[in-house]
Amino acid sequence: MKLKYGLSTLLAVSFTLPLSAQTMETLTLYTSQPNKDAQLTVDAFEKQNPDIKVDWVRDGTTKLMTKLRAELSSGVVKPDVLLIADSVTMESMVVDDYLYAYNSPFKKDYEPALYNEKGFYYGTKLITTGIVRHSRAPERPLDWHDLAHAEYRNQVAMPSPLYSGAALIHLATLTEDNGLGWHYYEQLHTNKVMAQGGNGGVLKAVSSGSKPYGVIVDFLAIREAKKGSPIEFIFPKTGVSMVTEPVAIMKGSKNKEAAKRFVDFVLSKQGQQLVLDQGYLPARSDMPVPDGFPSRAEITLMPFNAAKTLENNAANKARFSAIFEG
Amino acid sequence: MLIRTSDSQLRWLSLLLFLLIALISLLPSLRLLTEAVSSVSFTASSPLSDVLTSERTWRALKNSFYTSSLGTLIAVLLGSGFAFIVSLTNIRRRPLWVFCFMLPMMIPPQVTALSWLQLFGPASPLLNTFGIAPELGSANPMYSAEGIALLLGIQSAPLVFLALRTQLMSLPQDMIEAARMANAPQFRIWVDIIVPLSRSALVAGAALAFVSSLGNFGIPAMLGIPINYLVLPTLIYQQMAGFGEDILSEVAGLSMIIALLVLAGMLMQQWLQQRSQFALIGHTAQPIFFDLKKARMPTEFALGMVLSFILVIPLIGLIISSFVPALGMPLNSNTFTLNAYIEMVSNQGSTARAFANSGTLAFFTAMVLMLVCLPLGYLLMRLPMRVRAVVASLIEVPYAIPGIVLAIAFILLFAKPLPIINVSLYGTLGIIFLAYLSCFLSVCLKPVMTAMSLLDASLEEAAQLAGANSIQRLMHIVLPLTAPAFFAGGLLVFLISINELTVSALLWSAGNETLGVLIFNLDESGDSVLASAISVLVVLLVAILMALLSLLAPRLPKGIIPWHD
Repeated sequence: MKLKYGLSTLLAVSFTLPLSAQTMETLTLYTSQPNKDAQLTVDAFEKQNPDIKVDWVRDGTTKLMTKLRAELSSGVVKPDVLLIADSVTMESMVVDDYLYAYNSPFKKDYEPALYNEKGFYYGTKLITTGIVRHSRAPERPLDWHDLAHAEYRNQVAMPSPLYSGAALIHLATLTEDNGLGWHYYEQLHTNKVMAQGGNGGVLKAVSSGSKPYGVIVDFLAIREAKKGSPIEFIFPKTGVSMVTEPVAIMKGSKNKEAAKRFVDFVLSKQGQQLVLDQGYLPARSDMPVPDGFPSRAEITLMPFNAAKTLENNAANKARFSAIFEG
Repeated sequence: MLIRTSDSQLRWLSLLLFLLIALISLLPSLRLLTEAVSSVSFTASSPLSDVLTSERTWRALKNSFYTSSLGTLIAVLLGSGFAFIVSLTNIRRRPLWVFCFMLPMMIPPQVTALSWLQLFGPASPLLNTFGIAPELGSANPMYSAEGIALLLGIQSAPLVFLALRTQLMSLPQDMIEAARMANAPQFRIWVDIIVPLSRSALVAGAALAFVSSLGNFGIPAMLGIPINYLVLPTLIYQQMAGFGEDILSEVAGLSMIIALLVLAGMLMQQWLQQRSQFALIGHTAQPIFFDLKKARMPTEFALGMVLSFILVIPLIGLIISSFVPALGMPLNSNTFTLNAYIEMVSNQGSTARAFANSGTLAFFTAMVLMLVCLPLGYLLMRLPMRVRAVVASLIEVPYAIPGIVLAIAFILLFAKPLPIINVSLYGTLGIIFLAYLSCFLSVCLKPVMTAMSLLDASLEEAAQLAGANSIQRLMHIVLPLTAPAFFAGGLLVFLISINELTVSALLWSAGNETLGVLIFNLDESGDSVLASAISVLVVLLVAILMALLSLLAPRLPKGIIPWHD
């Protein structure tokens, strides 16, 4: 009967664990940051706020949202704070009335385009999408149009907008551009561009040489290149699309004070310094750029409208899959 | 009750067990069914009819069928070939062969896929060393339906192998001896005795392989999505990724198609197994050996080649990619670094948690299922054939539903606190534990049922005549004779659940991450080097556990450990 005892202990332990942790304030964070960065952010926050313990869950934005939606439809609110890839997803949470508006004292340090004016969410960093090439690749693409040329046939990988929030925004940005538009995506399909799962997949494809060129978020490629990976990141001439990795507080959070402290922490100079150290472009424009990035003046950001994109999201996805999977 | 005996003990036990099966396997399936049916309307555009009329659904169904069938064929060829050679011939270092053949199952499927892609890709450190790497950007042959099937086959070959080997080890020696005395040629012994006697286990193994290929997500996701070759689980994943209002009912509808496929497969298996009944009277004193004579060396060489292809090479790929600073770099004395291991072991709090969580989950899942399968298998064998087939198939369904959908069913079921006791399972290891029980019940039950179906009824009848009640008969006759099958089942469950990914991928919550989730998340966020390091540690852990079991083997009853004689 030892076994039975063991099992009941296991069950008992798994039931009571969340209870015993409540002696200290516990904040639950849902994030799409890479594991390592999420851990660094949480460690730094906990160090500054020793009375708060952060439990975090990491997943790709789309999968994380599926989980969150299933939870919400059952009437359970697990996370207190969201720190996810894009403002469009946040906008959809605002529309469905799941977020809590908070007026952070750090608001004034940010460009109005980076946060929701009512304070539902705040952008924390700039993640741009550009071009990556393998160092042994014969060509050197300088702009988006190059990827549609004959020399790149069957040689390009890109993240699929059906998987990655950043890729969906990239799609919305490029299709809104007069010079590119949907025609560009049709050309990419004709040129046999492989629409991979997420950005991680593109990194693997390009650094392992199975596709010499790719479309990818900046920090992944620049960080890996710095470590010695045989790849190079290129900021296209026309400009790059960007996501802002916004932070937001859930309306149903029972821990709003701790949640506010977390939001303030990521927006503070210290939190932004951490973003910089991790190799991302900080959202505060008075911060320097990380190693391997050109100066802010040299990076052209393409225009993008979160609310409009949210409206078009479903149609964009449908049109994309009609072109690439039809 | 359909039980023939009037023992009240047994009746209570059976009632309890039926409730248990209902709880852990029927409930999630039913929850999905209601979700799928709830939004059926008689308009042209209900989610279910959308699913059924969509051309993509049928294409995915066809693809699923193709890759799973081909994968099963490969698994059966590999698994049975190995099982026959390793169990029945005088090959040397038998335990080592078995041990190595079991290992591919321990490597998470998406890691296997990744290492194969890297190995045969243009930046392959191995191929580059010999200067035979393909050109940059050349098509990788692994991106194809056949590539998917090949890896599915390799991944599930150990399932066939284990099911068959348990059977082969208890082949009745006297029959073969008699045949030999009658001067039967080896060929006739195989065709007339060994193959018919092991057909039932072979069918069971093939069914397991088919079902596990059907539900596999990692391999078709890595190899199929990039070339737009969708199978049912990846189609479901894509539907989920593009979440909308009706997505749950659409996904539930898709899952029901898979469930139907599986039911059909199971009924066919039952039908095939009915036709191959024979009685088992316990383990033979000494296993049968065929003397390979001069063919021994070439056979060993061939086995070695196959093993290096399916195990050693991907493992080397994995190890190499865990020692470099960044992906795509060659491994040499300048680039060698242990940074990934240091980062994972010392900085990431999740590593230790994931090992502890997965270990605990796998251990208790295996233990509980072994305990449940003893009376359950016994009771099922006493049911009329048709009822048994239906119940066994229902148990099979949760295993075949793609993990991601099963997880949704569990969230829908358990997100709210349980009624009456008012305890919330959601967000604890408890919900993953229940999902594992539901998911892997069939994995454990299958070898047990096979072994029990071969049990000679006269043994039990004799005990009954001598006045033994059903519990006594179960403990003193059935259990000892079928113990190896139990252990094989439990071990399979342990090995599969320690690396489980898709179910826990949605059910995990803060502090409850599993190893599969950890590896997948690292890999997906671009930290493949870290993911490789963890994978190496997982393979190492499993190998050590298996080696420890081998050391214990002489102290355990014969046949308990599948890779020991």
